[in-house]
Amino acid sequence: MNHMAPITPGNSMNHLVGSDARPPHAVSVSLQRFNPPARDAGDAVANHAPSKISVRQLNFYYGSARVLKDIHLSIAEKRVTSLIGPSGCGKSTLLRVFNRIYAIYPRQRAEGEVLLDGHNVLDPRFSINRLRTKVGMVFQKPVPFPMSIHDNIAYAIRHYENLRRAELESRVEEALRSAALWDEVKDKLHHSALGLSGGQQQRLCIARATALKPDVLLLDEPTSALDPISTAKVEQLIDELKSRYTVLIVTHNMQQAARVADFTGFMFLGELIEFGTTKEIFTKPAKKQTEDYITGRFG
Amino acid sequence: MSYSPALPLEGPSPVEGRERRDQRNDRWFRLGVMSCALFVLLALLGAALSMLWGAREAFGTFGWHFIWSSDWDPVQRKFGALVPIYGTLVTAAIAMIMAVPVSFGIAIFLTEIAPSWLRGSVSAAVELLAGIPSIIYGMWGLFVFVPFMASYVSPWLDEHVGPLPIIGKLFQGPPIGLGMLSAGIVLGIMVIPFIASVMREVFLTVPVQLKESAYAVGNTTWEVVWDVVLPYTRSAVVGGIFLGLGRALGETMAVTFVLGNAHLLSASLLEPGNSIAATIANEFTEADSSIYLSSLIALGFLLFVVTFIVLAIARLMLNRLARREGAST
Amino acid sequence: MNDASLPIDSPPRGDHPRDTSALWRRRQVKNALAKTFATGATLFGLFWLAWILWTTLVNGLPALKWTLFTQMTPPPGSDGGLLNAFAGSFIMSGIAILIGTPIGVAAGTYLSEYARHSRLGAMIRFVNDILLSAPSIVIGLFIYELLVRPMGHFSAIAGAIALSFIVLPVVVRTTDEMLQLVPTTMREAALALGVPQWKVVRQVLYRAALSGILTGVLLALARISGETAPLLFTALNNQYWTLHLSEPMANVPVVIFQYAMSPYKFWHSLAWAGAFVVTMLVLLLGLISRSLFLGKRKES
Repeated sequence: MNHMAPITPGNSMNHLVGSDARPPHAVSVSLQRFNPPARDAGDAVANHAPSKISVRQLNFYYGSARVLKDIHLSIAEKRVTSLIGPSGCGKSTLLRVFNRIYAIYPRQRAEGEVLLDGHNVLDPRFSINRLRTKVGMVFQKPVPFPMSIHDNIAYAIRHYENLRRAELESRVEEALRSAALWDEVKDKLHHSALGLSGGQQQRLCIARATALKPDVLLLDEPTSALDPISTAKVEQLIDELKSRYTVLIVTHNMQQAARVADFTGFMFLGELIEFGTTKEIFTKPAKKQTEDYITGRFG
Repeated sequence: MSYSPALPLEGPSPVEGRERRDQRNDRWFRLGVMSCALFVLLALLGAALSMLWGAREAFGTFGWHFIWSSDWDPVQRKFGALVPIYGTLVTAAIAMIMAVPVSFGIAIFLTEIAPSWLRGSVSAAVELLAGIPSIIYGMWGLFVFVPFMASYVSPWLDEHVGPLPIIGKLFQGPPIGLGMLSAGIVLGIMVIPFIASVMREVFLTVPVQLKESAYAVGNTTWEVVWDVVLPYTRSAVVGGIFLGLGRALGETMAVTFVLGNAHLLSASLLEPGNSIAATIANEFTEADSSIYLSSLIALGFLLFVVTFIVLAIARLMLNRLARREGAST
Repeated sequence: MNDASLPIDSPPRGDHPRDTSALWRRRQVKNALAKTFATGATLFGLFWLAWILWTTLVNGLPALKWTLFTQMTPPPGSDGGLLNAFAGSFIMSGIAILIGTPIGVAAGTYLSEYARHSRLGAMIRFVNDILLSAPSIVIGLFIYELLVRPMGHFSAIAGAIALSFIVLPVVVRTTDEMLQLVPTTMREAALALGVPQWKVVRQVLYRAALSGILTGVLLALARISGETAPLLFTALNNQYWTLHLSEPMANVPVVIFQYAMSPYKFWHSLAWAGAFVVTMLVLLLGLISRSLFLGKRKES
């Protein structure tokens, strides 16, 4: 990609989305569906898809340092939303607010509102564990539990649901199928999960995150530790997952965002600079900072 | 009975009950593990207090005088800690004089000099040997080393070094082999693998780039050690030495067999003596009066206090390096 | 022509001042001396230790007879075995591990999962390290005051409890360190599923750290196998066979101590046999825990 070329409509977008690895129909679908372009995060979503999560006036602190500043955001239901930006911009921090995983660290705290289906999940009275059954998370590095593949998936199910053996087996199979892993592991369900390859482990983690059938999936740079083939498989998976889940993905790879996401938010130094449909952000960004990042003037 | 897949967000549901149970279990679990952790504090406190309690009769009767009195008379029931304290300090000093340079040399050998194929096995050997119980050293000391000292070393020292002025006093005595010198040497041998492995681990924390850049400008091995490794690990090395000292002060079995169990205060290292741990070990079952027993426990309390201070200093020194590393030593 | 005119990494030339100057030679001599000293120190240290192991082997091996494991400790002057001593050590060590391990694992869990950077955690770790290196004779006296005096007599249970105080700090430390080695992401991944923390610790973290924790237990076992001083004031010894925990019980280290200090030949050889068995056990446990631990290190 020529970083110095001026952006014209259709020009840079083709570059970014031209890779062979992308799911062929996803981007053109999103290009068709969403018009006219809108700039406000709320507008972008409200016009075209119901909002699953609404973020209002979110501020996040590490100790006394404010690392997320006045974030306003709407996440569309059953769509893929991506957060992009340079290292340290706060995109992972923002992602981790949605399932309150930051709560295990005493020096981290969030202020503001994050409404999931209208309920503020930051409210101390809102049960964290129940939140996490509705919002699943996949991490950058695949972390299978030191148990069998079957037990990895069954782990959370066993805690929350009292299923008969047959039902549990079918749930495990369902989760593995939805992560496109079933065929590869159906004969070794009781082998240790640590024996899987990196890409398989990550798909296992995705299957594990969907085991409790959450509404939202948070993906924190899910393919940055994977090889290109596994990355392609996971991206294909994301495209299939969005029919059932609202997906929020953080990625430092712009091309990936362009490939998989319906909506994209650009963040910089803790602020949400711009948010809109992926097409707009990559072809007609409204803010200079966004344009500079997209064209690679800084990284 | 299966629940609907999408767990409801609110409203009374079986999930609520589970949530309450989870929180309760979390609280109990945290309470449980915290009390076990606090138990560790309790253990140390309990040890200190219980020995103080057992020693109260001795301290009450003899007072501060106990520490510098060289009495030890079970019949007249007069006891003093000076001889055991003296023996403990002298044997530990001999042990450290011997062990520190040797351990230092071993640690340098293992980190800078030995070829890589040798390092693993010798390090493993040193670590395993550090775990050999002290009673083995004691037995070897009694059956092998003491006769050796008695036949060859003691007479030689007595004859050649004894007559010398000043230091001669340290080396005059009967060739019985038992004594503070022998005990100090056995103790030193015992402490060597221990201090060597601590020092080795400390030396290994020096970043490779630091050493490589020193080598790259032409420094010799010794210069890298002296100018790079040692300054970097200074406090930890001191900490390791103190750790070894704490071990040497408190050792019972390596010393009991070889020290001679004599309540004599003598300047000569070739004479038998006593250490705190050896006294307690040898005489505990013979203590026939409560003041006797209390004095022995008082000795134990003094040992505890001294080793506590030494080990605390060691820990603080080692922690300084660990803090720099961001890891735990 | 001065010393600086040649680059520092050019090969040594016998005729150039840099390579023959007094400074250079002095540095080389110092280096050679230091290397010689270090190598010599290693040989010196290894020599003594080899001598000690050799002595144990030479004296202990011939004393290894079947009767060692079938006969009881004999009265003065006669021959016999160490059966009751082995049994006693086995029982008391077993109880010590059973008591010390759960408390130690729990304490280590607290330090790693709830107090990793807190001041209370730092204080507990500090105290634990002191307990770890404290002279074992102090532990013996502690339990003497705590249990033996009130009970009025020596007992095996007092001995077991004394040993458990030696097991405790070892297990606390290794559990703390091994749990800290488990990657944070695994913790977060398990908690992100909505599973409560206590279950995450028990079902995921313990499993991940299992071999490391076991290593700690083995190390603790190796340590208490040879400890004499704590038993001297608690369980003492028993010439006869007994399984009663409220009575003094025979054990290998105290038997070795008493027999070695005695004037009887038969007792000496029994002492050596006991010393040999204990040494072999300790070395074996050390080797096993090393291979477990290094296997774990390679994995993480």
